[in-house]
Amino acid sequence: MNVVTPAPLVVDGLLVGAILFALGLVGLLARRNLIVMFLCAELMLQGISVSLVAWSRHHGDWGGHVLVIFVLTVAACEAAVALVFVLQAFARTGRLDSAAWQSLREANLPRIVDRELPATDAVPPRFPRLTPAGVAPATDEDALLEREQV
Amino acid sequence: MNFSDPSTLLVLVPLVPLAAAVLTVALGRVLGRRSWLPAVAGIGAAFVCAVMLLSGMAREVTGVGHDQPARPVEFVTTLWEWAGVDAAGMSGAAPQAFSIPVSLRLDPLTATLLVIITGVGLLVAIYSIGYMHGDPGEPRFFALVSAFVFSMSMLVAASNFLLVYVFWEAVGACSYLLIGFWFSKSAAAQAAKKAFLVNRVGDFGLAVATFLLWMTYGTLNFHDSVAADGTLVPGILGATRLADASAYAGGAVGTAICLLFLLAACGKSAQLPLHVWLPDAMEGPTPASSLIHAATMVTAGIYLVARTAPLFVACPGALTLVSIVGATTALVAALIGTVQNDLKRVLAYSTISQLGYMFASLGTGTLLGFTAAIFHLVTHAFFKALLFMGAGSVMHAMGGVIDMRRFGGLRRIMPVTAATFLAGALALAGAAPFAGFFSKDEILAALHSRGWADAHADHHEGLPADGHAAAAAVFRLVSSPTDAARISAGPRASTLDALDTPATFRLLFWMSLVTAALTAFYTFRAVFMTFTGPTRVPEEAGHHAHESPPSMTVPLAILAVLSAVSGWWLFSTHSLATFLAATPSFTAPAVAASATPAVFHWDLAIQGTLAAALGIVVAALGHLGRRSDGPQPERFLGPLATLFANRMYFDQVYAALIVKPLQVIALIAAFVDRHLVDGLVDLVARVPLGLGGVVRHLQSGIVQRYALAGVIGALLIVLAVVARAMG
Amino acid sequence: MIASLLPSISPGTLLAGGVTATAASLWMLLPRGRSGRAERSSRWLGGLLGLAALAAFIALGRRLGSVGEDTIFLVVALVAVVSGAATVVSRSPVYAAIWFAMALAGVSGVLLVLGGQFLGVATIVVYAGAILVMFLFVLMLAQPAGLAPYDRVSNEPLLAAVAGAVLLGILSLSIGRLAADPASCCAVPATKAALLATDPGAGPNGPGTVDLLAADHVARLGGELFGRHLLAVEVAGVLLLVALVGSIAIVSRGAADDEATDSRRATP
Repeated sequence: MNVVTPAPLVVDGLLVGAILFALGLVGLLARRNLIVMFLCAELMLQGISVSLVAWSRHHGDWGGHVLVIFVLTVAACEAAVALVFVLQAFARTGRLDSAAWQSLREANLPRIVDRELPATDAVPPRFPRLTPAGVAPATDEDALLEREQV
Repeated sequence: MNFSDPSTLLVLVPLVPLAAAVLTVALGRVLGRRSWLPAVAGIGAAFVCAVMLLSGMAREVTGVGHDQPARPVEFVTTLWEWAGVDAAGMSGAAPQAFSIPVSLRLDPLTATLLVIITGVGLLVAIYSIGYMHGDPGEPRFFALVSAFVFSMSMLVAASNFLLVYVFWEAVGACSYLLIGFWFSKSAAAQAAKKAFLVNRVGDFGLAVATFLLWMTYGTLNFHDSVAADGTLVPGILGATRLADASAYAGGAVGTAICLLFLLAACGKSAQLPLHVWLPDAMEGPTPASSLIHAATMVTAGIYLVARTAPLFVACPGALTLVSIVGATTALVAALIGTVQNDLKRVLAYSTISQLGYMFASLGTGTLLGFTAAIFHLVTHAFFKALLFMGAGSVMHAMGGVIDMRRFGGLRRIMPVTAATFLAGALALAGAAPFAGFFSKDEILAALHSRGWADAHADHHEGLPADGHAAAAAVFRLVSSPTDAARISAGPRASTLDALDTPATFRLLFWMSLVTAALTAFYTFRAVFMTFTGPTRVPEEAGHHAHESPPSMTVPLAILAVLSAVSGWWLFSTHSLATFLAATPSFTAPAVAASATPAVFHWDLAIQGTLAAALGIVVAALGHLGRRSDGPQPERFLGPLATLFANRMYFDQVYAALIVKPLQVIALIAAFVDRHLVDGLVDLVARVPLGLGGVVRHLQSGIVQRYALAGVIGALLIVLAVVARAMG
Repeated sequence: MIASLLPSISPGTLLAGGVTATAASLWMLLPRGRSGRAERSSRWLGGLLGLAALAAFIALGRRLGSVGEDTIFLVVALVAVVSGAATVVSRSPVYAAIWFAMALAGVSGVLLVLGGQFLGVATIVVYAGAILVMFLFVLMLAQPAGLAPYDRVSNEPLLAAVAGAVLLGILSLSIGRLAADPASCCAVPATKAALLATDPGAGPNGPGTVDLLAADHVARLGGELFGRHLLAVEVAGVLLLVALVGSIAIVSRGAADDEATDSRRATP
């Protein structure tokens, strides 16, 4: 048996990876916005990547590095497919809410509806918007610029 | 015909009606109005086969004089092995191989009954062409009649008690289906149910008797058979056992078997106390009543007792009880019949009464008694089928009305029916020289010979001394309890044997004589009420009030001729008695030794004729030429008339003693089932339901909650693993 | 540093405190649909608790490893962790995406410090440059006006925070065990040791290990990738192709559905 001692920063790297993974998990479980959920999933993947590289450092081989490259690849695929789904979902409901999709529940159970939220004085930030994909540039410019929903 | 191998014919007799039944069921819709074709053709072919068998059998039997002891004649063909278990596969102290072959037998008794069954069946089928015309259930009716002829043929041809049981049930099933033929009518459905349930009691007796036979004799076959290892297995009614007078169990076991047979016979042949189903069975179509509930199926009990004659002879007490039950039933049914106003019910009670006669005759245990019973069975089949068909003809013309008070004077409208009905009535009443006169005379002679054994023996002073002595010896042998104990194989005689005294038979003889008078009375009361007096027709009849079509009157005429001449012919030639004496069951020493020369008993004939004349005269005084809805002379009976009109309250007593308690038990059982058992089951069902009600809220449809649950579960597992790793 | 003030506390206490503070901090920081004032105070308190949890974990890291000794690592790790937490708790998805870009920068730094030179760069290029930009495009396509109600509430925040903190605790515990007794979980099997012994480069971890920080790092990683892992690379390529085709298929089918329902298109 060839016992190796932890290289410097291995434990620290593992700790950082664990923290990132846990943060991402909390976000994935708690946040309702589909896109934020996916960001959190990516955050979990980042935690994994950090851990893998730390382990690679610990063992002194290329395995962790190679795996991280594959993680990047799969994450890219996942993002591509998932974003398409998000877009489709948004096109149907006008929302990015994960709770908008609850038809697959036990029969006769009531639909879960959010309680009335108290007013907030937070000023919603404004961001630029893009023309919806696949829609020809509009004839009605006001509707495109100031529409309530897509 | 090469009679050395009649198996083909023997198989054809039941097979062709079965094929007809299947064909009718399969092609009922195609045949439409001609659905009677397969039944008539099939039963007709079976009748031809049966007649050929009978003639062949008769040639086998001839050459045996009346004075010589009859030689047993039987032919058995085994079709296939139905069930079999080696001795090695049996447990118990003395394991015996169990083997149930599907065997058909032919002997004089079977041949006679096959001809009756197929012959009456054929006439009934022809009659039904007219009677059932236009009924939507026509194919069903003919299929059932064919199936019945098949089952009944198999019943009398089976050579195995288990097969007998199977077809005993099969004819019961056909009877049930035909009684309930118009099942949309509540009364018909109720009557079918009643017949079925009452028959259940008797069938139970037959089943238990079969078990006891197996335990006692180690086989269920009638005939001797050869086991797989080459040893001879003596059948219950086989030649080996018949030759040995002590081979039949007496005592408690033998008596139990015989009493169970009697119970079975009482159920099927409607004897007291199980007779209540037969009058209600008249709800079925009249041809079915004629075939099943008058001529053939109800005589299955007679057949059973006659077939097992050696067993009964070994148990004199049980045998005497057969006579007592028969004579009592005959009297009671005749009394009830005197005040019935429903033509078919009069005939139904008359059937019960005549069957009682046959049982009384069987119970004498002499060869004369057995042959007389079968003789009466044959003549009764003719004239009772005739009477029922006549009643059906009346009913057909009267638009379904069968209450005698609502019509009268029908002889002017339906001359053929009236004439044939009168012939049947004369035969039933026992007027010379019609059929019933001779057969009834034989029965009275059989009873008389047991009541006054010595006096009866004196009738035959001109006979050879040895024959005379043998006959007298046998009477003493059979009639004395101590001698009866000697011929029975059991260690002790049954206490029932004390019944077997001449005094008993003297009482039974007088009862039968009274019954004869009553029979004549109620028969002619029906004749006079229906066919004489001013012509009246109920409004239901409409344009139907005319003579029935030829398909109905021709069978009536044939049966009328048979009713008129068959008794005289069969009696004067002694052909039937001689023929039947060759039946293996009747060649048992105890039976065969009681053979007496056939003699016409003038004294008994005069007594019987006087009784019949008395009955006819009283009926004529009360009813001849009067309006049938007028005051009836029976009112002079007072409370007795009410008693008889209510059928001696048998149904009410059964309802109170059996039906009501059972209903109470059923109610309790239903309550327990509905609330206790179902409650428990519901409780068991509510547990998962309740748990599910709690858990189902987890299935909220929100994916993130599922993910959270998954993460928590994974964390718990990891925690457990870590806790173990940390020690 | 706060972490230096906590040397006398035992690792167990640090872990327990850190986990508890993490849970409480996340619960307070997560959007819970409260009014503006309550929300603000809750976030302040959560932030403070988060700082405390951070301090506890830095102290724990010092105790177990070398956090704090390598200042660059400390800085990039803090950037990654704080930005990651901000990603999770940001109300606006756009802010969350931008915070995620920040976290990616931190992670990239951490990877660089840990010796993953190529991976650090690749993360920036692939994630920040491609994936994240795609996210932002989608956000801008599908962005309701104002702050959506579902961005102001969370799904079971308490349970989620506790679950995450417990997971963190378990992982920290395992890492602590590794630090305390490397042989317990990190023994290299003999077969692998023999395999490694054939490697020409003797790494700093002893004979049989590779020197990940060698000058020709990227070349050797490429050699490894297209040597031992060639088949996996091919499979990954196929996977990318399938994802591409799948995405296009779903989009075109969705467009067909929209075409049927879109009245603007139906009446040109």
